Amino acid sequence: MNVLLNDMAEQEKLNQFIARIEAGEKIEADDWMPEDYRGTLIKLISMHGISEIMGALPEKEWVPKAPTLNRKLGIMAKVQDEMGHGQLLLRVAEDLLKPYNKKRDDLMQDLFKGDLKFHNVFHMEAKTWGDAGLIGWLVDGAAIISQTNMLGASYGPYARALLRICAEEVFHAQHGEAIIMALAEGTEEQRKLVQDSINYWWESLLLFFGPPSKKEVGSSKQDVTIKYRIRTSTNEELRQAFFSKYVKRILSLGYTIPDETLRFDKESETWIYQQPDWGKLKVYARNEGPLSQERLSLRRISYENNKWVREALAPKVI
Amino acid sequence: MGNDSLKDIAIKELLLHLADDDFIHSYRGAEWLGLAPHIEEDVASSSIAQDTMGHAAIYYKLLEEIGVGNADQLAHDRPAKERRNAIILEVVNGPGYYMKDPEYDWAFAVVRNYFYTQAKAIKLQSLHTSSYEPLAEVAQKVQMELYYHLMHWKMWFVQLLGSGHEEAVSRMKAAIEKTLQDFAGVFSLGQYGEEMVELGLIEGEADLQKKWIEAVSPIFESVGLATTFEIRMAKGDGRNGKHTEDLEKALETLSEVYASDKAASW
Amino acid sequence: METRQKTYFEEFEVFSRKTQTSPVQYHFSLLAPNEDIAIMMAQENFMRREAVDDIWVVKRQNIRKMTAEEKKTLQRLDNKDYRTTKGYGYLKKKWRKYEQEMLDEKEIMSWAGGVKNGE
Repeated sequence: MNVLLNDMAEQEKLNQFIARIEAGEKIEADDWMPEDYRGTLIKLISMHGISEIMGALPEKEWVPKAPTLNRKLGIMAKVQDEMGHGQLLLRVAEDLLKPYNKKRDDLMQDLFKGDLKFHNVFHMEAKTWGDAGLIGWLVDGAAIISQTNMLGASYGPYARALLRICAEEVFHAQHGEAIIMALAEGTEEQRKLVQDSINYWWESLLLFFGPPSKKEVGSSKQDVTIKYRIRTSTNEELRQAFFSKYVKRILSLGYTIPDETLRFDKESETWIYQQPDWGKLKVYARNEGPLSQERLSLRRISYENNKWVREALAPKVI
Repeated sequence: MGNDSLKDIAIKELLLHLADDDFIHSYRGAEWLGLAPHIEEDVASSSIAQDTMGHAAIYYKLLEEIGVGNADQLAHDRPAKERRNAIILEVVNGPGYYMKDPEYDWAFAVVRNYFYTQAKAIKLQSLHTSSYEPLAEVAQKVQMELYYHLMHWKMWFVQLLGSGHEEAVSRMKAAIEKTLQDFAGVFSLGQYGEEMVELGLIEGEADLQKKWIEAVSPIFESVGLATTFEIRMAKGDGRNGKHTEDLEKALETLSEVYASDKAASW
Repeated sequence: METRQKTYFEEFEVFSRKTQTSPVQYHFSLLAPNEDIAIMMAQENFMRREAVDDIWVVKRQNIRKMTAEEKKTLQRLDNKDYRTTKGYGYLKKKWRKYEQEMLDEKEIMSWAGGVKNGE
């Protein structure tokens, strides 16, 4: 009898919850939410957050090397923002993790153990100053497309964090464009830096949006995130938006895209393109990408080296 | 530059001290990006590294304005022996490289940052009344940002030393000793120091150092440290072009892209 | 007695005020071992690109928030004109009869800089 009552109460809560998000209301951290919703958010936001933290590393490599004082300042500010975005997102994830009694330290451990994944693009090597520019221009461009898609997310704290993040991403994109523009209008060598970067990053950019459906990699979170009004568009719609915004810009600078089949099909109003090797997503998820281990190692070393600081300043038990 | 008066040389040298100090200090700060004890601190200390690079850029610009060279060229294209920064500021953050196995020491970062920022604040105070007006003006502006830098590093210094945590205290003490070994280099005015003082560009080394000791002594006392300072210049005087391999390696990194095409626009 | 896990990561909520007369605004939360470190982190983490006049940090456990149940108490009927100037708007017409202007909000707030004498 009690069990039945409980079930009914749960069902009622669920109905109310669905009604709330369908009415466009925001769910807050302390509100009741279905476990499935919480779990989906935790997965999405902790991965998003840790990706920002890991994403600071490839660009950080180029901070001291940036070729002018002004570029040094610009890229330093950008890396700072990436860390800042990680801070915002991890705070959101940490609040969601409360019922499981997990904290930031646990998220770091999850990262080190390989349980918490980070985005495919941040497993790649940033080999040249051209790559540093391209990350700002196109990787951030892709990130802007996927993040603006979630600005209306039903989970209030995530939506608010994204609003802050997207505002800063506009600066990032322009910072990337400025680097690319200088190279594109520069010497032959400089121009080539950009083409090489486009060639190296293109496939990663397509992978970034995730597979079109379950069948490419065996699972996809997109349906459930759409159901819960966390995002509105599918992976494929986002990828198409990326093509629509960026292909013409790349071509206008006189560069080519390493996909001879790429074209806009007027009839279906979609971009036709060479499918990337979806299997690579699984490789990166296992932390077996080109620089996965090196990046994790940097993070791990710094975490270990600073352990004494955290110990020394931890408040004494009350 | 053969016809430069002694005054021109003294001004140029002093500007190079200031510019090169902040430039290399900011680089050491930037190496910490992504590696600080926690994310919030990573973001906060990045602002300090940025401000500091901004200050270096202001001084290089002053040098550019008096015809010493283009600011970017001055920052990127001078070999170690022409650099004027204090040696303590070029010392690596710890073993390893910022991209591989950086075994960095937060205690050394805190101590060096606190000591340097305090010294910088004292110098800027002195520069307020510099007879070289463009520098006096700049000093007032730059000082505005130092309130935060100083408070930030002082807080870390006091908290870690006051934590009662054995490892923290011993690391901090070791870092203090290490930093003081070469900290006199920060006050050094180099071979044109006497002229600088005579011309009223800045106060003398001994005065600057005395004021620094006065400023840090109460902080030392508050965490139970002795205030007998032995401030040395063990590795030599960076103001006169003496430097270590640490600087050479840093410059290689700092100018890698710039040097790939010095004529290009980046 | 409260037993708490010993941790470097305490939660602080960050607020700021843009100018001396603006209301305090909430920003976000951050982790820090104590309030002195928290306040030192606040501006650079959340207000890097904006001017602020003051910053507050509050330990999250010291903020009492409303429960979902309590939020229900926030609802009001829309019948409280008597609390606002809206319920007294008819005075304007009345005063006109006596050839006087109504001392409305705009007029009264304009006295901040002093009232100009006159008959």
